[in-house]
Formats: sequence, structure tokens, C-alpha cells
Amino acid sequence: MRVLLADDNAERAGALARILTADSGLTVLRVGPGELLADVVAREKPDIVLVDMARPDRDALDGIRQVAARNPSPIVLFVDEDDPAFMEEAIGAGVSSYNVIGVPPPDVKPILRAATALFRRHQDAREGQAQAETKLHEREIVDRAKAILIRDRRLGEPEAYRWLRRQAMTSGKRIVEVARLLVREKEGTTP
Amino acid sequence: MTLPIRIGLLRLVDSAPVLVAQRSGLFAALGLDVTISVEPSWSNLADKLTYGVLDAGIMLPPLVLAAAMGLRGPRAKLIVAMGLSQGGNSIVLRNTVADTLEQPAGRMMLPWLNRFKAERGRVPRFAVVHHFSTHNLLLRYWLASAGADPERHIETVVIPPEQVAGALAGGRIEGFCAGAPWGEVAQAAGAGRVVLGSSTIWPAHPEKCLALAQPWAEANADAARLLVRAVLQARARCDDSAEADGIAAMLASPDEGLGLPEAPTRAALAGGAGVEGVLFHPGSAAYPSHAHAMWFLREMARWGWVDAGVDLDAVARRVYRPELLAGEGIPAGLGAAGLGPVMMPSEFPAL
Repeated sequence: MRVLLADDNAERAGALARILTADSGLTVLRVGPGELLADVVAREKPDIVLVDMARPDRDALDGIRQVAARNPSPIVLFVDEDDPAFMEEAIGAGVSSYNVIGVPPPDVKPILRAATALFRRHQDAREGQAQAETKLHEREIVDRAKAILIRDRRLGEPEAYRWLRRQAMTSGKRIVEVARLLVREKEGTTP
Repeated sequence: MTLPIRIGLLRLVDSAPVLVAQRSGLFAALGLDVTISVEPSWSNLADKLTYGVLDAGIMLPPLVLAAAMGLRGPRAKLIVAMGLSQGGNSIVLRNTVADTLEQPAGRMMLPWLNRFKAERGRVPRFAVVHHFSTHNLLLRYWLASAGADPERHIETVVIPPEQVAGALAGGRIEGFCAGAPWGEVAQAAGAGRVVLGSSTIWPAHPEKCLALAQPWAEANADAARLLVRAVLQARARCDDSAEADGIAAMLASPDEGLGLPEAPTRAALAGGAGVEGVLFHPGSAAYPSHAHAMWFLREMARWGWVDAGVDLDAVARRVYRPELLAGEGIPAGLGAAGLGPVMMPSEFPAL
């Protein structure tokens, strides 16, 4: 079977291609940069298409069964009617699957399962990174507020931090929120 | 409130009501906690609503109906709670092509299409934003009204709205039908000319709607009612020309809004200079009218997308649900008097 991967994340697509070729001997094809999904599907005639849901050109595959008259092997959205939880997991992970009419669901599901697992791992890693970036940004805001306090109130650094903490406790806000308000008030910018 | 309401939308001018409700605190004022998810494709919205990854979305009515009938995947449990916008789509032709079409409708259309094919050896390519879109149905209706067969006289391709201007400039397509601001964007870039607004085809036609995942709406009836109420309030603001500059700036902001190009966005809002504007508020726009659902369904059946024997009337009643709007969801000042008559496609003016 020929599986087309439409995923601009080269690292993830490469990893998935290795899994699919090693485990099941599938032929894995890739959508190149700048290529439109529908064009590649028409040219390569894959049996299964795995699509990163972040791709805007995914809409070109939707409802393609309706133009079957001009399309000898219409591609349809893969649906496992008996396993909505599995479908929800795949959608939640950001991957969808299309297959040629006639490819039986038992052949598609393990491929979509492998893709879902891999997409989920990448999603988790990205969220972890986003959280780390937020934390870093928050520390910068607190540092800027401390610098203002050190300058304006001639506090030492530990006192400046204690001042922020005290304000946070009495106002029921997070320290970073107190710091943000202070920076906005004193510097006129919103960090 | 418990979990936030997850609402999906695309980068389009007619996503304004939900963004305005969020940014101006209309949701919060009613105690609603809303998270907005900007999706890259209509298919994403449909899939996420189908599998409960989103609770609500700004949708294309024909796509909701197609999903509910199982035409693109599983038979989805979706309902249309209200209309969000009217009009706003542009039919744009590449400049060199538009110049050869003296009047973009009526008797001129068929000879023009035939001449194109005779000269180039192929039919012109038109892009729409989704197969099951208002754009596709209105484009087809327009061509058919002029005696052309959209299956035979043109080739239809699906291209994301943000890419249509580039596709037009690059010669990949001869024309497209897409929502605001992308028609004006193509025109401003010199890639093509807006030859027709969709409101010429069907004055004040229903465009985007607020679709709800039915299981969510049933389990959260109060939240669903309040959601509709807040969006109704926001719609009125979106049609106020005094607010249009601010709304355009909000939609243009990459952080607060959608990062849309500001000038063409402003052109599509109230008092704007665009050929085709988006209407949010007047008349029957909000009412999920049975007649509108039937028009979309009959057109889909007309092009052979719906199996014979499907009870279209039952589909329309199952999906188009005016209860939320007719019930306590309509606040004072936006009552039944504001719902007005239902308009249907008019005959074309003889050109």
C-alpha cells in the first residue's frame, strides 16, 4: 500500500515514515514543500493519506467523493464508526486520515494509530516548551518590577521581592500579575 | 461555569461577532468562559465539532448540513443555532480574463465561457474555499442562471482563502469565489478584479452560521442560550459603522484578532468602500430559517451531492434549530420584530 504523508514538520514526517516502512513494509510518499495536497494526491494516487491538521489545503480533500465522476480513485475521510474515542484521539492529536474508497478500515487503523501516537508526543513536547517559555517570560517581568523597586524605593533585591510577594498576598493576585501592573504603571508598557 | 466553551473559527472578516463578544467582554458579562481556537481549515472545524474537540464554531451552512448527512465523514450531530452574517463573498476574475467579459452575468456568460474554451483548449478554473461552501453553491447558481453548466463549463478547485490571491496572480486559476477580505486583497494586489459580490446573486444571503455540537448544546442548555445571546449582542456592534474602524483594527491585530490585512478588512465592514460588504445584523440574518436550509439542501441535491431518497425536509428540521434564538436567547431590543422576512434568490437583472 502507498501512504502519502502531508506533514511540513520534516522531523515528525521522517520519524513516521521510518515507523511505517519498518513495521509494515508500506511505501511512504511525502508532500514536498510548497506542493498542494490535492495535486500530489492526483499525481501519486496513494491508498492512504495522513494529513497534519495544521495544513490549510486539507479542505481540498473534503467532499472529494462528490467529484468522483472526474476522479477514478476518490479519497474519503477515514472514519471508524465503532470507535469514536479513537477518532477523537486522532483529531485531538492533530492528524486526520483519508483513504481510497475500497481500502478496508482494518488496514487503515494501525497506520492512523501510529501517526496519532507520534503527533501526540510532538504536541506534548511543544506544550512543554510553551510552558517553559511562559515561565521564562514571567521571570523577566518580575525582574523588571524588582529593578523598578530597587531604583525608586531604594530597596535591596530580597526586599523588592518581598514587597511584590506582600502585595500579591494582600491583593489575592499572582506575583507576576503584581509585577506586570507595576511595570505598566511605571514604564507605560504592558509586558 | 465549569469548563470553558471552546469555539472554533477561521481567519475571516465574518468571524468578527465571536471575537468582538470575547474581546469586549460580552461573554464574560454573561458569566461565560470562552476559549477561541483559530483553525486553518473548514475540515478541521467540522471534524472537531463532530468529535467534541470543539463545542461551537463559525461554520458554512452547507458544510454543517453535509456533515449532518454523513457526506464527508460520520453522520455528525451538529445544529445550526443562528445565522451570523449575510453576504460578503466576492467573485474575482484575473484581470486579463475580466477584460474579455463585458458584463459579468446574464446573456454574456455562456458565449464567454465557450470562447475561453475554444481559445485555450480548456475550461476556466475557479477556486472555492470548500466543496460544501456557500461560495461553491452561489457560484454554481450564478453560472447556471446564465445558462452555463458548472460541471462542464468550468473546473472547480478548492484552495484556502488565504492562498487564492496568490493562485490567481500565479495563473493557477482564472477566478475564485471567497469571503472577505480575500477578494479585496486580490484586487489591491493587482491580481484580479471583483466582478460581482455574492449579494448580487442573492441579496442578503445567509453566509456564516453559529454551529453547535449537539451533545454539548443538550448537556449545557443554559450556556448555549447565553452564548447565542452574547453573539446576538456582538452582531449588532459589528454592523455599527461607528465601531467598524475599531473592529477592523482588532481583526488586524495578530495578538487580539486574526492578523488580517486591515484596509481590505475595513472595506468589508459597515460603511466600507468594498464592492461587497459583510452584513451582520439586519433583518432575518440571525434566524436559522427552514427556508434557508432547504435552499442549500436543494442546491446540493441539484448537483448530485445528496443521494435520492434523503428526506431533505427532515434534515433541515433536525439541523436548523431556532429554539435557542426563539427562546430566552433574544435580549430586549433584538426581539422577533428584528427577524424580518426571509429573502430568497432573486431573478437576475437583465444586463
